[in-house]
Amino acid sequence: MQIIAAIALNTFREVLRDKIIYAFFVFACLISLFGILLGTLSVGQDIRIVEDLGLAAISLIGGIIAVFSGANLVFKELERRTIYLIFSKPVKSWQFILGKYLGLASCLLTIILMMGGFLGALVGFVDPTSPANALTHLPWLALSLALVYLELLFIIASASLFSTFSTPIMSVLFTLCFWLVGHSCASLQDLAKMSTNPAVSKFFAALYWLMPDLQSLTRVRSELMYGRALTTGGGQGELLIYLTTYILAYVIILLVLSALINERRELP
Amino acid sequence: MTEFLVDAPQVVIEAVNLTKDRLSSFLKKRTRVLDGLNLEIYAGQTYGLIGPNGAGKTTTVKLLLGLLRPDEGEAKVLGAPSSERENLAQVGFLPENPYFYSHLTGREFLTFVGKLFSLPDDLIKSRVKSLVEKVSLVDACDKPTGKYSKGMLQRLGIAQALINDPKILFLDEPMSGLDPLGRMDVRRILHELKAEGKTIFFNSHLLPDVGELCDRVGLLVNGKMVADSPVSDIAEGGNFKALEDFFLEHVQAAMHATKDSKPHAEQT
Ligand SMILES: Nc1ncnc2c1ncn2[C@@H]1O[C@H](COP(=O)(O)OP(=O)(O)O)[C@@H](O)[C@H]1O
Ligand SMILES: [Mg+2]
Repeated sequence: MQIIAAIALNTFREVLRDKIIYAFFVFACLISLFGILLGTLSVGQDIRIVEDLGLAAISLIGGIIAVFSGANLVFKELERRTIYLIFSKPVKSWQFILGKYLGLASCLLTIILMMGGFLGALVGFVDPTSPANALTHLPWLALSLALVYLELLFIIASASLFSTFSTPIMSVLFTLCFWLVGHSCASLQDLAKMSTNPAVSKFFAALYWLMPDLQSLTRVRSELMYGRALTTGGGQGELLIYLTTYILAYVIILLVLSALINERRELP
Repeated sequence: MTEFLVDAPQVVIEAVNLTKDRLSSFLKKRTRVLDGLNLEIYAGQTYGLIGPNGAGKTTTVKLLLGLLRPDEGEAKVLGAPSSERENLAQVGFLPENPYFYSHLTGREFLTFVGKLFSLPDDLIKSRVKSLVEKVSLVDACDKPTGKYSKGMLQRLGIAQALINDPKILFLDEPMSGLDPLGRMDVRRILHELKAEGKTIFFNSHLLPDVGELCDRVGLLVNGKMVADSPVSDIAEGGNFKALEDFFLEHVQAAMHATKDSKPHAEQT
């Protein structure tokens, strides 16, 4: 446990002491500010525009940081040969992978919370006339941010899996492909249904079953933003719980695979 | 028989017919970089493994630490096979040309390494304090290691290898790349460790240091151990010129031998 915490803390420090993170952070804030400008142009819509733009910026910036830091997660230790230092101590492969993962996950949590805090303050600022009105937005905002974070958890797990056996550039490409497929998995299902050839149909069905279903995340998020129908019936609450469990299970499988690969391979 | 064994010095590092092949990055050609190495090092001994660059010294250390898997033969540390990585808690390791996380300060780094050994926090704190004194890094230990000079990094590397108060130390080229002053520092530290009764295994191609520090030297050329004898047999009274002659004579003889037997390399 202490070992995992130490590796996580080291990773956390490494990512947060990297100046480039702050450049991204400022960028996300600027985009949200830009939302205010747009909001003043379209009367009555301002809060929604600020929220939409802000959330989009946060998920984009979070995604970029997740993909690149995730792809470098194990590779950097290999390249700089600090991995010899770690594995010449009584550290197990799964402890290393889990520590690295948790470190990056807590970094992203910090970043999301900071950007989310900024966005929340902005929303309050845009609607100073009725603070109560602004307050009703905050739970939705928080929930949407949680969904963004859930997706990032998935991204860093797949990036770390790829980074155990390939170079960062390849890992970034693999992760982006995986991510895209996850977002279009409904079309896989459609393909499976459409195909007349049973073998092809089975293939697409299997592929759909294997691939992560990230599309539902986006769907729930947009329903949250526009329908705001979470309170109507328990259906959506259940869906949220289901999605969370599903993504976390997927993350665990990816991490177990990374640890197994890391255990098997010989250090260069 | 058993009475005899009680008094016999304990073998703490052992290699039997240790053999390792590596694939060259170019054309994936398989070459034998370590060929049938036998070693027996006793508790409290200081053993120097010398040999030209590329002889297989680093490979030997990595095999002994379980960082690489042997293709044939076996390596044992403190009686257990290295591949089981059981005794790493009692081993310290200084890698060749060490790089430590440049985002950490010296103190943070040593604390991190202490945690990899699952040591209690207060013990880590007191060890870090005494170790930075031992390696003369008291003033620098709160600066990021990215700002350290080569000599400071090497001393920090020795400190991290000592954080668990190991019985056995593996040092890969502890003095190469240092200026005379830096080398003197490292030599002084090694003398102290030797006086404390630690078993030290180190790789070097710097013969004066080997002659001064070691009880026994092994000479590795092209993956083969061509000589293994007490230093006192070679260089009486620390006469390093004799050690140099010994080195040159054996290396040249070994080079000739491999040249003559190229067509059937197995027979040498
Ligand atoms: N990761 C690696 N992959 C392939 N060959 C390697 C690798 N590391 C070392 N070698 C080869 O193994 C041989 C021995 O290297 P090494 O043990 O580092 O020598 P030394 O430490 O004595 O200088 C060299 O010929 C080197 O080219
Ligand atoms: Mg070497």
